[in-house]
Amino acid sequence: MRDLVKAFKSLSDETRLRIMNLLLERECCVCEVMQALGISQTRASRNLNILYEAGLLKQRKDGLWSLYSMNKEGMNECFNALIEAVRNGLEGNEVVAMDIERLRKAERVGPGCVSKSRR
Amino acid sequence: MSDLLKATMALMDFTRIRVLNLLLERECCVCEVMQSLDITQSKASHNLSILYQVGFLKLMENDLWSLYSVDREGKYFDHMIKVVKKAQEDNKVLVSDIERLKGAKRIGIEKVQKLASQGCGFCAVCKPDCPQYKLRAEIEQGERK
Repeated sequence: MRDLVKAFKSLSDETRLRIMNLLLERECCVCEVMQALGISQTRASRNLNILYEAGLLKQRKDGLWSLYSMNKEGMNECFNALIEAVRNGLEGNEVVAMDIERLRKAERVGPGCVSKSRR
Repeated sequence: MSDLLKATMALMDFTRIRVLNLLLERECCVCEVMQSLDITQSKASHNLSILYQVGFLKLMENDLWSLYSVDREGKYFDHMIKVVKKAQEDNKVLVSDIERLKGAKRIGIEKVQKLASQGCGFCAVCKPDCPQYKLRAEIEQGERK
């Protein structure tokens, strides 16, 4: 049950809901999230990490990039219902529609990824 | 987005998930919520009012009781409520809350508080001697592990 409360907590933030919206669209790397939302690398990484810790995302490394995507396999029915609720709640919202537009133009190069891979 | 944000904020507290879970079973007055969840009147009222303000609940008041129920026509019903329903399937605390709701009585807040101070033996409000209370403590310890 802690997990569910943690998931709700992680979703109680506008930036993180916007990130969820991007990742519902497709797998993203930190620099793409930065570009699509117009936020700093630290902020993108931190919020991605909070969602990851809550069990909503999974992460994989591919060369220079660390790619985040929805943790579809690792979630129980309850979490799946939660994701559906989020998807539904974001529908028709102008801000998140703009984010998706910007995500289409975003390129997978950025200081975020590079500095992360050097660490 | 603000609607969604309000909903997630309202449910980022375990007590409120438990309250919502109870009300999905049937409509309750504050005193039934107190007994089933073993919480104080102020905590029950506070959490009910948060859920009510966000739009999860309906309130029906008559002379004797303020009855809260889940707003089945509300904007959250389809999706957010489903999450709580699914959560109940594998959570012992939520299941035992429902069990205690069956034994809860609509006796009014004052009487609940009086019984709580004496220890009545039938509800979860009274402390250590009550079998319900022991059961609950065991389950919560299990959760912590």
